[in-house]
Amino acid sequence: KLNPAELLPAAQCLSFGPRARGECCLLQLEPGLCAELEAGRSLVIRGEKDEHAVLCSKDKTYDMKIADTSNMLLFVPGCRTPEELNADPGSCDIIHSQIAGFSKNYWELRRCRPKLKKLRKLLMEDPYEGPDSQKDQTSTFSKYTTEDLLSLIQASEEEILHQLQVIDACKIEGYWRILDFDYEMKLLNHVTQLIDSESWPLSKVPLCACLEELGSLEPREMIEHILLSYGRKYVDDAGEVFFEMREDKICRAIAQMLLQNAVKFNLSEFEEVWQQSVPEGMTTRLDQLQGLALVDKSSRPETIFLLKVEDLPEDNQERFNSLFGIRQKWTEVDITPYIQDLCAEKQTVGALLTKYARSSMLNGVKVYNSRRPIS
Amino acid sequence: LSHSSGTGPLAQWVLVELQGEVEPRQSGDLAGSLLGDLHYTCEGVPVLIVGHHILYGKVVQLEKPFAVLVKQGGAPQPSPVGPHSHYTVTALIKTKLLFKTRPKPIITHVPKKV
Repeated sequence: KLNPAELLPAAQCLSFGPRARGECCLLQLEPGLCAELEAGRSLVIRGEKDEHAVLCSKDKTYDMKIADTSNMLLFVPGCRTPEELNADPGSCDIIHSQIAGFSKNYWELRRCRPKLKKLRKLLMEDPYEGPDSQKDQTSTFSKYTTEDLLSLIQASEEEILHQLQVIDACKIEGYWRILDFDYEMKLLNHVTQLIDSESWPLSKVPLCACLEELGSLEPREMIEHILLSYGRKYVDDAGEVFFEMREDKICRAIAQMLLQNAVKFNLSEFEEVWQQSVPEGMTTRLDQLQGLALVDKSSRPETIFLLKVEDLPEDNQERFNSLFGIRQKWTEVDITPYIQDLCAEKQTVGALLTKYARSSMLNGVKVYNSRRPIS
Repeated sequence: LSHSSGTGPLAQWVLVELQGEVEPRQSGDLAGSLLGDLHYTCEGVPVLIVGHHILYGKVVQLEKPFAVLVKQGGAPQPSPVGPHSHYTVTALIKTKLLFKTRPKPIITHVPKKV
């Protein structure tokens, strides 16, 4: 029984609008996204036919999933809440409101890692081999501008731009390019040779002098790019630009150059050659090679081989399958560089190992192996 | 997804959540047909009268608001490098009226006991 005296005077008549179904859908917003929309910023849905759609804000990426409810959700513009009616005493008795649309489901968002492996893959289609290379003069079909990347990569703009910096990509004639490794080493070698012949301290390499001395050999942009990639830029009190060369990164690159020539190396021989190959004043250490190379301590003699984390699958389960295919049992120390990038916000390597691996003891050391039999 | 009008605040809509299906009384689709009358008690309890049923509900402030997306353009699938189907955010929903109680039929006349 309903007592009219208990009701507010206004009544809202709800009817279905003409375009009630179809292209309308609901998106549940994670914290922060509502404020972004209200501030006038856009969100973008990205994904090609074979990819699961993701939603990107300016700096974050979210997986999209349909959530079904057993209930009917009607969206009503202009529907008044009790507070609004109470605040507006002059509101008329009968208000006609149209239901703009309805749905039994909505899109749910879950923050995820940006899907950036594709970025490297695209840029590796046509690495830059230098101005003398014949390739560049011909096609532009596998070259990508920032806009191209934004429409192809399932990540936010900020995440994409950050990753471009991480992989030392550079813009050449408006297109993002990755350097061909041999060309990159050639450039690095020019610089390290010059540092040696000029006896500059590794922490104070002058930009101007480099450009002057090397400008006849390579484009100035490339010289500056290699200094930026392998050094830390700073300006001294007199306003001159210098670079503090990054020892770890240089040693690592030279190791890659050596290791890519064979399936594996005798560890002690490699360590000797490696130390001799790096610039004067730099010291090689195996921990510089995390995520790049793996040492096999079980073989006699001990060996080392190239294993680049960026060549491994992006999906968590596939990554673990791949790692356990390479080696059955891993210590936490060895496997960490190869799964670190899988960690979601606030997730630890330990949590990943608990989820995707099984632990056991081997000779007093804790090791991890696959949860499932590897075919 | 971009803001529909580009400037000005986004419209605030309200979600009405009902248990079960809504079907038109007569055959034909729902467009244009009446759902029912929405009232509020003086305490702010929403009451929806649908046909011969009374539904009592409650006003819920959504922890996670919704955005209402309307698809623009007729392109069925986006091409790899090119414009994606564009969705426009038409409104935000921060409040819902949840009707979970089973509909109570409206009895207009209570027969007296004989």
